[in-house]
Amino acid sequence: MTTAPVRPPLVRSSDRLIAGVCSGLAVHLGWPVRMVRIGMVVAAFAGGAGLAFYAWLWIMVPTADENAKRNARRPASPIAPAVSLPPVSLQSGPPPGPVPFSGADPSFSAVPPPSGEYDAGTVSQPPAPAAAPGSTWFRIRSMRYGKEILLGAGLLLVAAILIARLLGVEVPLGTLIPAAAILGGAAIAWMQLDETRRAGLVDKTKADQAGGWARLAAGLALVVAGVLVMVSGSGSWQQTWLALLASVAVLGGVALVLLPWGLKFWRDLETERAGRVRATERAEIAAHLHDSVLQTLALIQRRAGNEHDVVRLARAQERELRGWLFKDPARDAGQLSDRIKAAAAEVEDGLGNAVDVVTVGDTDMTERHEALVQASREAMLNAARHGGGPVSVYLEVSDGGAEVFVKDRGPGFELSAVPQDRLGVRESIIGRMKRHGGNAAINSGPDGTEVRLRLPADVADNGEGKS
Amino acid sequence: MTTPAGASAAGRTVRVVIVDDHAIFRSGLKADLDPSVVVVGEAGTVEQAIEVIAAARPDVVLLDVHLPGGRGGGGREVITGSAALLGTTRFLALSVSDAAEDVVAVIRAGARGYVTKTISGAEITDAVFRVAGGDAVFSPRLAGFVLDAFGTAPADIADDELDKLSARELEVMRLIARGYSYKEVAKELFISIKTVETHVSAVLRKLQLSSRHELTKWAAERRLL
Repeated sequence: MTTAPVRPPLVRSSDRLIAGVCSGLAVHLGWPVRMVRIGMVVAAFAGGAGLAFYAWLWIMVPTADENAKRNARRPASPIAPAVSLPPVSLQSGPPPGPVPFSGADPSFSAVPPPSGEYDAGTVSQPPAPAAAPGSTWFRIRSMRYGKEILLGAGLLLVAAILIARLLGVEVPLGTLIPAAAILGGAAIAWMQLDETRRAGLVDKTKADQAGGWARLAAGLALVVAGVLVMVSGSGSWQQTWLALLASVAVLGGVALVLLPWGLKFWRDLETERAGRVRATERAEIAAHLHDSVLQTLALIQRRAGNEHDVVRLARAQERELRGWLFKDPARDAGQLSDRIKAAAAEVEDGLGNAVDVVTVGDTDMTERHEALVQASREAMLNAARHGGGPVSVYLEVSDGGAEVFVKDRGPGFELSAVPQDRLGVRESIIGRMKRHGGNAAINSGPDGTEVRLRLPADVADNGEGKS
Repeated sequence: MTTPAGASAAGRTVRVVIVDDHAIFRSGLKADLDPSVVVVGEAGTVEQAIEVIAAARPDVVLLDVHLPGGRGGGGREVITGSAALLGTTRFLALSVSDAAEDVVAVIRAGARGYVTKTISGAEITDAVFRVAGGDAVFSPRLAGFVLDAFGTAPADIADDELDKLSARELEVMRLIARGYSYKEVAKELFISIKTVETHVSAVLRKLQLSSRHELTKWAAERRLL
């Protein structure tokens, strides 16, 4: 299993004669389509084996579209629990290795136990709690194949029994089949329970709900049928029907009696869980407020005389609280807009001027963007220092590149009037932008100054772009 | 936005209702506003607000986005609850929230503008007069939201007119996002302030009426910014 060949997934392709089975198989195995088709036809004459195989693949193998859909949804259940839950500690803690069966209950080995699929997944995980990305990938892999292997093992078992019967060996089918049905049904139902419980713990997506119910019903039907056949000793149908009726009646009665308790219990459980979630949330908020806002308020009271300090503290606290409240967990941190905001915060803290940042679009950081951030920071520092009032910063990222505008309402200045030895504007802003394939323009007048920095998207490759 | 819109100099007054659940903020705002802005009512909850607005029939309502009461809809609910007055009473959203979801929700409900609570009394006074005169008031941040939502590419002719901003509207929005006042925008683009106001109002209309898929999707996705 560790050397699982990398093949294209087995899907029914759209290039089809009948159902796309043969061409799909050919792609998967890397054989010519014609050979697969001829082989299938030849096999069809061998007692209809080819026909059966074709029909089976038709039913079992998804089309390419379905497959894509299924794979897209797959992370909802099996991966999420594995990643977000701590590894379920199994009693024996077997060594890491792809042994899909070792975790399964021995009593299940006769029947393909679908629940083993999950056991296999957790068992094959190394004992170290930190699951490396590689091991997660591997676990998914082994889980996927585990299912097929279990199915195959079950089929092999059936085949072995059939052959044994053909050879004249007495196989107690009368008890074996119902027993298998019961175990299989129970396994299907339990697997379902396991999955919903995990999904419920992780997130309450109900993507797989319909399939879950179908599985539960199938498992239940199997178990009931198995029990009936076993109890009635494969007797007459009349007896079986009677037993079925009686058991359903009893089950119905019990359910009717227990339903109110069950519902109440369930509701209590839900309320309690919701309450716990709320309490945790509140504790987290309280802790955060205590660490940040209350401390700042205390500081503000002590420095009430110094207006500058009070404003600075308030701004810093506001920024921090905003960052905490409105942070989008789905967004990647450390992108260009974050860096610009961080630079603005730094300037604000250092000089006490309000620096308002508006961003449109975003991009990942590169070396060139780093230069843009540095130049922006320099421009903000200048704006705060010489402008004196609030500073407006606007960042726009589009396909064409990134632009930053830094505006203040100070008295303005003349670039040519700046002494030659002052490097702030000339070197740190204009020079830096030029070196990285961008440009900087400064527009200054009596109403204020605006520094415009522009970094086109793709100039990095033309030689001197990268420093 | 730094100069009062001239109306106060002409002796005109504007009647406003302040809706905010923080009494301290209401009194602070009242003290900050220009004398030409007459506060005719105050409210702290959604129900109170709808009642006070219906009784006082102000020119402008300064409306906090987050309000207790009602069905939890906050400022948006006040606007929908006062829908009958939308022709005569205009709403200016006032918020500490940066969340795009909040801002876009009140704008789409019918507010004529959005400013943050940290701006000065003079700026709020100016915004009140602007809104009373039928114009829209965009803060840099709201302009940023608009650019983010509509995209920064100008409209093609084939596009639904409501779904994209024209090249000129984009320019105006960009300048506002950069911190320009309407006057500065006019100077920069060599157009009159009146034209700037027309563009901004057009953008506001698009923001309110566009059924652009991306806009709603964007509002839902960027509920936090």
